[in-house]
Amino acid sequence: MRVGLQEELDQLEASLQEEGELVRRALRGALNALEQQDEELADEVIAFDDEVDRCYFGIETGIQSLLARQAPAAQDLRLVLAVLHNNLHLERMADYCVTVAKLTKLVHDTPPDETLTEALEDMGARAEEMIQTALDSFANRDVEVAESLVEMDELIDGANRRVVHQILSLSADPDLREWGLRMLLVSRCLERIGDHAVDIGEQTAFLVSGQFREFTDASH
Amino acid sequence: MEARAEPATEPPPVMEASSPAAIEVKDLNLYYGTFLAVEGVDMKIERNKATALIGASGCGKSTFLRSLNRMHELVPGARAEGTVALDDEDIYGPNIDPVMIRRRVGMVFQAPNPFPTMSIYDNVAAGLKLNTRRIKKNDLDTVVERSLRGANLWDEVKHRLGKSGSGLSGGQQQRLCIARAIAVEPEVLLMDEPASALDPISTLAIEDLVQELKQDYTIVIVTHNMQQASRASDITGFFNIEGAGEPGHLIEMGPTEKMFTNPEHKATEDYVSGRFG
Repeated sequence: MRVGLQEELDQLEASLQEEGELVRRALRGALNALEQQDEELADEVIAFDDEVDRCYFGIETGIQSLLARQAPAAQDLRLVLAVLHNNLHLERMADYCVTVAKLTKLVHDTPPDETLTEALEDMGARAEEMIQTALDSFANRDVEVAESLVEMDELIDGANRRVVHQILSLSADPDLREWGLRMLLVSRCLERIGDHAVDIGEQTAFLVSGQFREFTDASH
Repeated sequence: MEARAEPATEPPPVMEASSPAAIEVKDLNLYYGTFLAVEGVDMKIERNKATALIGASGCGKSTFLRSLNRMHELVPGARAEGTVALDDEDIYGPNIDPVMIRRRVGMVFQAPNPFPTMSIYDNVAAGLKLNTRRIKKNDLDTVVERSLRGANLWDEVKHRLGKSGSGLSGGQQQRLCIARAIAVEPEVLLMDEPASALDPISTLAIEDLVQELKQDYTIVIVTHNMQQASRASDITGFFNIEGAGEPGHLIEMGPTEKMFTNPEHKATEDYVSGRFG
């Protein structure tokens, strides 16, 4: 048995799960900052991205070293490639959290539309759940759970469309319209986090089957 | 809007045409005396492709390789059952001359083995002189140069063709042996661990050479070096044994890329991942 290789693979997977947990914390912080219009918390979320980046670079460096020395093949190789992809997906998700926090800071003194805030909180909660589901599917090599992400993503996509309609129907008050435009971007960020979670699910299927396939085509 | 007619039936899937088999092995059993060393091998070796045979020591891959040009039977008591068809002609059939088979299916061995007392020129010409009664000096010169060029050795030895082959480096000696093998213009070239005694640079030179040689020959290469198999071959076959004293079997064979990324069998997966034993 290749003990050294297995230990390194285990370490990479553990780091990926850790990165996922950091991203979930970042998302929760961004959602709380948004809901409570908490500028200080938004700043913390922005600074917290450095933690995610450290984890990201740690995994990247670990993969580079492993590929150079261990020459993994078959399922080991697929695992390394999948971790490489997922690492990037998680890092992008964290960037969206930073964007949400920055947008929160831009509108912190504008009274929000409560219905819309609730809708965004609902989207955010679904995105959190999708991150967890994606990482669980990967850890457990569970393709069925990975495929369930498509349905969850459709719910987020639907919520995103409803948010857009709500924003379009906002009053002519210029402050509220500006707030609405910022929230349009927040909604888009949450929707993209869902997309990245689906991508992680696709990596689970690739790891298990050796065949890469998109769960849905781009026209959906 | 212009309506587009749907095709009545699905078009047939586009399949990559595979080359006709240069060698087709059917139900091959190989024995040393009463010991069954390799059992029940069915294999198609494609023309102008490099096929690598991998597997742990004792799995029968070298024995199998030697059966492809009837060198296996040179061991006392060794024999083969089944068929090995070289372009539809069973090389184990009646009235088949093993010497002619070995001319059509050349062999390069693990350790470079140039004839030590012969010059570089004579090493390359040796096979031709043995196989051809009369050959003009000019023609021989042409064949020697062509063979040395084919083995990527010409530029390194063209000014010392009269010197002994044993004065060359290990990598050059192995390429000299390859030149000797291709001088008789075989159809298939068998290589038994051709780079295992060579340094990394010479090893890469041999691997590059395999890529060039397959344009003109069908190559079958046995290697313990899985990276070499993955770098140098188009098709890979994996041999395995259940345990000591058991016969070797061909477990799986397929495109090298698939064998090293997503093999069908767990035993192959374990072997290419280095998780055996």
